[in-house]
Amino acid sequence: MTRSTNGPRLPGTTLLKIARLVFDESMLSTVVQPTISDLQREVGEAGPNRVKRLRAQWRGYRAFWTLALVGPFASWHSSTGNGGAVAFPDAVARLAVASIVLTLVAVAGPFVGLWLGVMIATATLFAIVIHRWYQRHPSDLPSPPEPQKASPQINFSSTEVGGNIGGLIFAVGSVLIVAIGLPPVIWFLFVAIAAGCLLAWWLSHWHASHPNSGLPVNRIVWR
Amino acid sequence: MYGLQLVEHSDGTLKRGTVYVTLGRMEAKGFVESDEQALPPGGIGLPRRIYRLTSVGERVLRAWTALAHELAWEMKP
Repeated sequence: MTRSTNGPRLPGTTLLKIARLVFDESMLSTVVQPTISDLQREVGEAGPNRVKRLRAQWRGYRAFWTLALVGPFASWHSSTGNGGAVAFPDAVARLAVASIVLTLVAVAGPFVGLWLGVMIATATLFAIVIHRWYQRHPSDLPSPPEPQKASPQINFSSTEVGGNIGGLIFAVGSVLIVAIGLPPVIWFLFVAIAAGCLLAWWLSHWHASHPNSGLPVNRIVWR
Repeated sequence: MYGLQLVEHSDGTLKRGTVYVTLGRMEAKGFVESDEQALPPGGIGLPRRIYRLTSVGERVLRAWTALAHELAWEMKP
């Protein structure tokens, strides 16, 4: 409980909301909440004295923001196999990736030209959309029986894409990136769409005229 | 003891912003254990986390103190 039902708002309530967005549960319970609890108790013990209250708030808020800076590096739970660093690995990773991409676009943009800048921005946007989609809808692809060795090369074919909306986003995004990046070959996009539709229509028609073809053989019926 | 008490008793060695990170590491190593202090009836705010030394922590502290004394003795001119 961080707020009285009828009384004034407790100090640290907003900090706790921010912390819930950024830190994981372990970090919240062991580090963030005790720090905010100390702030609340100290402010409460300061009583009506305004100077004491302000001093207590200053110390408490300073402690929280120090903790916010230190927290990402406080990775003691990683040694216990608890899924990595205690402090918001996702948030740090997103911040790091966004910073790198924005810096690259800002630095390289004037040199590589507008089209390439737009292409990089579009690719980044689609990467984020695909990543978000697969986080919410994990792929049902079976995991490989043996752990794959990390390949130092960039292998586009090793990207796992399911036959679902995520796959469609991936396919459309890839085509759009190529189309934006290489406008002279945009005709290929339209030809590929027409050819794909034609092939889909032919496959559908063929399966309708051969309903049993391609299905697995039922050997029990043979007996 | 809770974190703020430790800070107050440490004469500036421990800082408020990092004391719970340090305690979290010590808890992960088994040197201390903690519980949330129940709020008194009608109490508001977040519960405090109270830390206690474990038996392992006591042994480590004794060993560390003995080592510190030994080193101090060795360093004497």
